[in-house]
Amino acid sequence: MSEIKKIKNLKEFSTSADRFEGANLLCPGCAHSIIVREVLNATNDDLVLSASTGCLEVCTAVYPYTSWDASWIHIGFENGSTAVAGAEAMYKALGNKGRLKQPDRNPKFVSFAGDGASYDIGFQWISGCFERGHNMMHVVLDNEVYANTGGQRSSSTPIGSSATTSPAGRVSYGEKKNKKDMMAIMAAHGSPYVAQVSPNKWKNMVKAIQHGMAVEGPVFINAVSACTTEWKFAPEDTMALQDLATDSLVFPLYEIIDGTELNITYRPKNVVPVEEYLAAQGRFKHLFKDEYKYLIKEWQERVDAKWDYLQRREEAKV
Amino acid sequence: MAFDKMELRETEVWDGNFAAAQALRQAQVDVVAAYPITPSTPIVEGYAKFLADGYVEGEFVMVESEHAAMSGCIGAAAAGGRVATATSSQGFALMVETLYQASGMRLPIVLNVVNRALAAPLNVNGDHSDMYLGRDSGWIQLDAYSPQEAYDLNFIAFKVSEDHDVRLPAMVHQDGFMTSHTAQGVKTIDDDTAYGFIGDFKPMNDMLDFDHPVTHGVQTEEDWHFEHKARQHNDLMTKVMPKIQTAFDDFEKLTGRKYNIVESYDMDDADVTVVCMGTSVETAREVAKEMRAKGIKAGVVGIRVFRPFPFEEIKAAFKNVKAIAVLDRSAPGGTPGAMFNEIAGALYNTDERALLSGYIYGLGGRDLTKAHLVDLYTELQANVDAGKVTTPLQQFIGVRGPKLAFL
Amino acid sequence: MQNNGWDEFEIGAMLRSFDGEVKDIATTLQEDRNYSSSNSFTASVADWRIEKPVFNKDFCIDCQFCWIYCPDISIISRDKKMIGIDMDHCKGCGICVEVCPTNPKSLLMFPEQADEEAELAGWPEKDKEEK
Repeated sequence: MSEIKKIKNLKEFSTSADRFEGANLLCPGCAHSIIVREVLNATNDDLVLSASTGCLEVCTAVYPYTSWDASWIHIGFENGSTAVAGAEAMYKALGNKGRLKQPDRNPKFVSFAGDGASYDIGFQWISGCFERGHNMMHVVLDNEVYANTGGQRSSSTPIGSSATTSPAGRVSYGEKKNKKDMMAIMAAHGSPYVAQVSPNKWKNMVKAIQHGMAVEGPVFINAVSACTTEWKFAPEDTMALQDLATDSLVFPLYEIIDGTELNITYRPKNVVPVEEYLAAQGRFKHLFKDEYKYLIKEWQERVDAKWDYLQRREEAKV
Repeated sequence: MAFDKMELRETEVWDGNFAAAQALRQAQVDVVAAYPITPSTPIVEGYAKFLADGYVEGEFVMVESEHAAMSGCIGAAAAGGRVATATSSQGFALMVETLYQASGMRLPIVLNVVNRALAAPLNVNGDHSDMYLGRDSGWIQLDAYSPQEAYDLNFIAFKVSEDHDVRLPAMVHQDGFMTSHTAQGVKTIDDDTAYGFIGDFKPMNDMLDFDHPVTHGVQTEEDWHFEHKARQHNDLMTKVMPKIQTAFDDFEKLTGRKYNIVESYDMDDADVTVVCMGTSVETAREVAKEMRAKGIKAGVVGIRVFRPFPFEEIKAAFKNVKAIAVLDRSAPGGTPGAMFNEIAGALYNTDERALLSGYIYGLGGRDLTKAHLVDLYTELQANVDAGKVTTPLQQFIGVRGPKLAFL
Repeated sequence: MQNNGWDEFEIGAMLRSFDGEVKDIATTLQEDRNYSSSNSFTASVADWRIEKPVFNKDFCIDCQFCWIYCPDISIISRDKKMIGIDMDHCKGCGICVEVCPTNPKSLLMFPEQADEEAELAGWPEKDKEEK
């Protein structure tokens, strides 16, 4: 096992040499890039990376430029996880056969994908990778929408959000379904480590990534990614939105170890009302009309209930 | 080596599936990512058993769909090692997206396709619908007519596909059940010789070379896409055939078994000929001999390399022929058969343009009988005698009901 | 590369991040890397900016918030010190300014055409209202 990179504080972290480059084509203020940097900088080990079709992929490998300083592959929308699984299988095969060019390395296999590529179209592929137990990490850049194609709803889009295929209108408040609970689904695969992270809580996130990279087997990371374009807020407010997401407990940060042991990894000192989180984003603007205000109340009740559930799970150690 | 060699008899009785599985074992494939589907399943079952018995070493990734099988193969091939899998029909159809990705990324992968019809209606038997579905995918497509050929062509496929001047994935086709499940005598190659023919895998642009990071699977829009597709087509058109020919030549030296890009039987003085693929070639060869006894100079042409399409070799094969029947074993979907069209294209600008007619046959595993072929050769001779095609251009053979013909 | 013909590219549209061999890239700083012309590091998105960040090191406490939250790898930190902004890669999102905790801020946004010297000379005073 390779040594875990020592990152005591942010100053020490800032000595990292990034393996993700600028002049990529992500929107100004895109959180995807911040997430990718925190994942890659969490280790000094070699990396074998993939991205499923989506914002990250389409903005970082547009010919003739690549923004990746580690080996990287993209096949399609649904199969980035399996691309990395195939590479990991080859790594094992060549290791067993004594044919690795650099046998002394400890590469980490990481696939990045959006919520659409993970919760929807790529779901089966991810499930297969996890059932088979590949030694890899799947990181979801969860912005709750198909942002790359212009903001269509995915199964990660929350109730009341206005997306282009679930638009708010004269007689509709937008998306009608609750967000899919991928954390529970992936934990149910018996994954050794499943965590929800947010890049504003960098230390928490880096710790989770390092934990995930240290264990054997398939690791699932759901990273909240505030989308300036589709959530409709100003690009400079990305980190403020990430703070609202974690501190309102709309995105509680927690981990599930070996499919059972649930730990809450971040407890906000001052919990922010969900209303503030919703009010900061154009996609929820219509909820503030009188006829839809009940939805905001329901949102708060849902978030409270989930937080209560997580705390009871943590306490019960099941 | 952490696995044992297998002692083979000089001639083994194998069906096409087992012959292909043996070839994968002897090639010492590093990663097989696969999903079972009739009739190709025994290939990966065979490989799994070799692995379980310690006759091969590698990673066998039993994925959750054919799409994932080819996705895993692509990841593994990009990582840098020998990769193979097998599929048929619906599984092949599910793979199609990734087939284009594998070839566009120039990754060497060997895919055994045990040909089977495409639904609907559902059918598990052999026709060439799946093979035809792959024809624009940028892969090399080799066609075996027998278990022996399914075995031999796998070695050719690895050798050509992995060549650094080629780096294109290759399919080895065989007919579902008629070849895949029919046991015949197969002349074997011993393990060391077989592996030696292919040689060690030589990595290129491999993701696991951490000192040379590479980016695979980029986006190219209108400013770059055309050049990359042009490059791939150029390499298919100019580089692959010479490499296949060299591999055939080397293989003949090694085993005495001679393969040709286009196979010609009794063609030296033939007036009338049938051109087809798969097991039908052997049936046609038998009938052609019988027709000669009746005074009709009959010949047979078999397409061995379906992609790249052997345009020049076809022109040469039909040089002095007077009438040709092109047999397409795939529902043409509103056009003359695909092979009919392509052969017509190859012959159109030749001086001795032969009379060309097309036949659709054998869909869903329907037998092509000797009687069908006798009728067919007789029709061709009638065309020759009349100096023109006397039948419709497209006729269906062996279908129930009134005679079905078009054009 | 723009003038290259179809026969002059790597097959499969494969791109290399670096020219030649790299050793231990995870600990090699950008200035010591041999980037290939295909690495987006060699490209610029400076023309995306409408506003640009200006860095005033007089107030900087090297907290590195700007470094970690910059989506465009444009905060140049060396030896735990913030030393400047990579203006080829900065898209002008303004996150660095928002997350800067000093008073007055050590980073502020100005119109792209603004004169940096002049803006530094006129930097705001400490805001007593701020926490």
